[in-house]
Amino acid sequence: MKASYYPGCSLEGTAKPYDHSSRAVCEALGIGLEDIPDWSCCGSSPALKMNKDLSTALAAHNLALSETQSVEDVVIPCPFCFRRLLSAQAELAADPDLKARIEGAVEAEIQGTTGIHSLLGFLAERVGADGVRKKVQRPLKGLRVAPYYGCYLVKPHDVTGFDDPENPTSMDDLLTALGAETVDWDFKTECCGAGLAVSKTETVRDLCRRIVAEAVHQKADAVVVACQLCQANLDMRQDGGAMPVLYFTQLMGLAFGMSAKDLGLKHHLASPMKMLKAKGIVS
Amino acid sequence: MLRLTGQPTERAFLHKVMEMSGQDLLDCLQCGKCSGSCPIASETVAGPRRLIARILAGMKDEALEDATWWYCVACGTCAGRCPVEINMYEVATALCEIAEAEGVKPSEPDIHLFEELFLKSVQKTGRVRELQAVMQYNLRTFHPFKDMVPGMKLIFKGAISPKEMLPGGGSDPKVARIFSRLAEKE
Repeated sequence: MKASYYPGCSLEGTAKPYDHSSRAVCEALGIGLEDIPDWSCCGSSPALKMNKDLSTALAAHNLALSETQSVEDVVIPCPFCFRRLLSAQAELAADPDLKARIEGAVEAEIQGTTGIHSLLGFLAERVGADGVRKKVQRPLKGLRVAPYYGCYLVKPHDVTGFDDPENPTSMDDLLTALGAETVDWDFKTECCGAGLAVSKTETVRDLCRRIVAEAVHQKADAVVVACQLCQANLDMRQDGGAMPVLYFTQLMGLAFGMSAKDLGLKHHLASPMKMLKAKGIVS
Repeated sequence: MLRLTGQPTERAFLHKVMEMSGQDLLDCLQCGKCSGSCPIASETVAGPRRLIARILAGMKDEALEDATWWYCVACGTCAGRCPVEINMYEVATALCEIAEAEGVKPSEPDIHLFEELFLKSVQKTGRVRELQAVMQYNLRTFHPFKDMVPGMKLIFKGAISPKEMLPGGGSDPKVARIFSRLAEKE
C-alpha cells in the first residue's frame, strides 16, 4: 500500500516523536509513505482566522503538489492540516469562482480527487484492529490508557466526516488491539485550548488541568493523543504533573517491538519511562 | 439601551457577515448550546450566543470588538451541537476580515500578535518555524523567559534544539508569491 504523506510544520519542529513513530509504524504495516514534494504550511489557525482566501490557497497549494504524486491518498498526522485540506478541497469543488481565484493564486490546477485521510483514520480504516493485532510482538498488558481525540479530527462532523464527534472509538479499537485497556471517559473530545497556548496561556492551563485531572481520576496510566498540539498542551500545561501524554503511534511502535528511544518516548516532559518499566513493557 | 429603528443600514452588517461566512445567523434560536459548549467562553469572553445576538441586533462596533472571535480556536464543538448548524469559526473569520478592512484595533492584541508572527514566518520560509515564532512573541511582549523551565527541560531531553529558536531558515518563493498575489487583489 502506498500513500502520500503530509507531515506539516510541527512534525519537523516540536513534534518529531509523532513524525518518527508515524513513519516507523507505517513501514511496519507495509504502507509506503512518500512525502509531498516541497510541502508548505497549511496556514493553520492564524490563516483560517485572519484571511480565508490565504487559508484556502495554502491548503490548495499542498493539494496541487500532492496531485503531482502517483498516489491516490494523502495521509496527514496533524488533525488541523487534515481538516484544513479536506475543507479546502470541498470548498473548491462547491464554488467555481473561488476555485478559479485560488488556482490563479497558487498557479496550479486542482483536480480535487485526492483521498484525504488523517493518519488515525487511515490506519483504522485500511489496516483495522485485526491488521494491527497481527503485528503485535509485545502486548501492552496492564497498561490503562485514556484515549483523547481532541477537536479537529472529529469536529465538526459535516467537515471531517470521521468517527463520532462526541464519543469517538477508532483509537480505542486500535489501542485495545495492542493489548492495552482503554478508559471509557467523557473527555475524549474536550478542547485543550489549541493555538491559544502562547498568547492566552492561562486559558489553556485551565482547560488542560481539567482534562488531566479527569484522566488521573480515571486511574489512567497515560493519556493517548493523535495531535501534536494536544500533546504539547497537555504535557506542558499540567504544571509539572506526572501524567504521560503519548502519541498513539508511539504505543503502536512499542507493541510492534520498537525501542522506546527510537519512538521518542524519552522526549516528553511527563516521562512515561518509569511507568512503562514497572509494567514490564520496556526493559 | 439599544433600540432598533428598522433602518436598512442596521441590517447591512448582519447581511455582510452572513454572506462572507456562509452562515444563516437569522436561524439562530439563541438557545445557548454553543456558549455552554464553548471552551473559551468565560466571565470575560462572551461566547458565541451573545456574539450572534450582537450581530443580529446590528451592534457592529460591539461585535467587531468582541473578544470571542479572537479567542475562537475553531474547535467546531458549537457547530456540531447547534440545532440550526451555524459554524461559528466561519463567522470568526468574517468578523476578523471586516475588522481588519475597517481598521478596527484588535481587542485582543496578544492573540493578534501571535497569529501575525505565525503568518509572517510562513510567508518567509513556507513553513512555520514554531519555536522562532514563540520566541519572537515572548520578546515582543517583554516576557523573554516565559516557559524557560519546560523549554530547558525539552532541550536537555533532546526533544527540541535551541538552534530552532534562532532567526533563519530557508525560503519558499512559491508560498511568498501566494501571499503577494492575494495581497494585490485586496
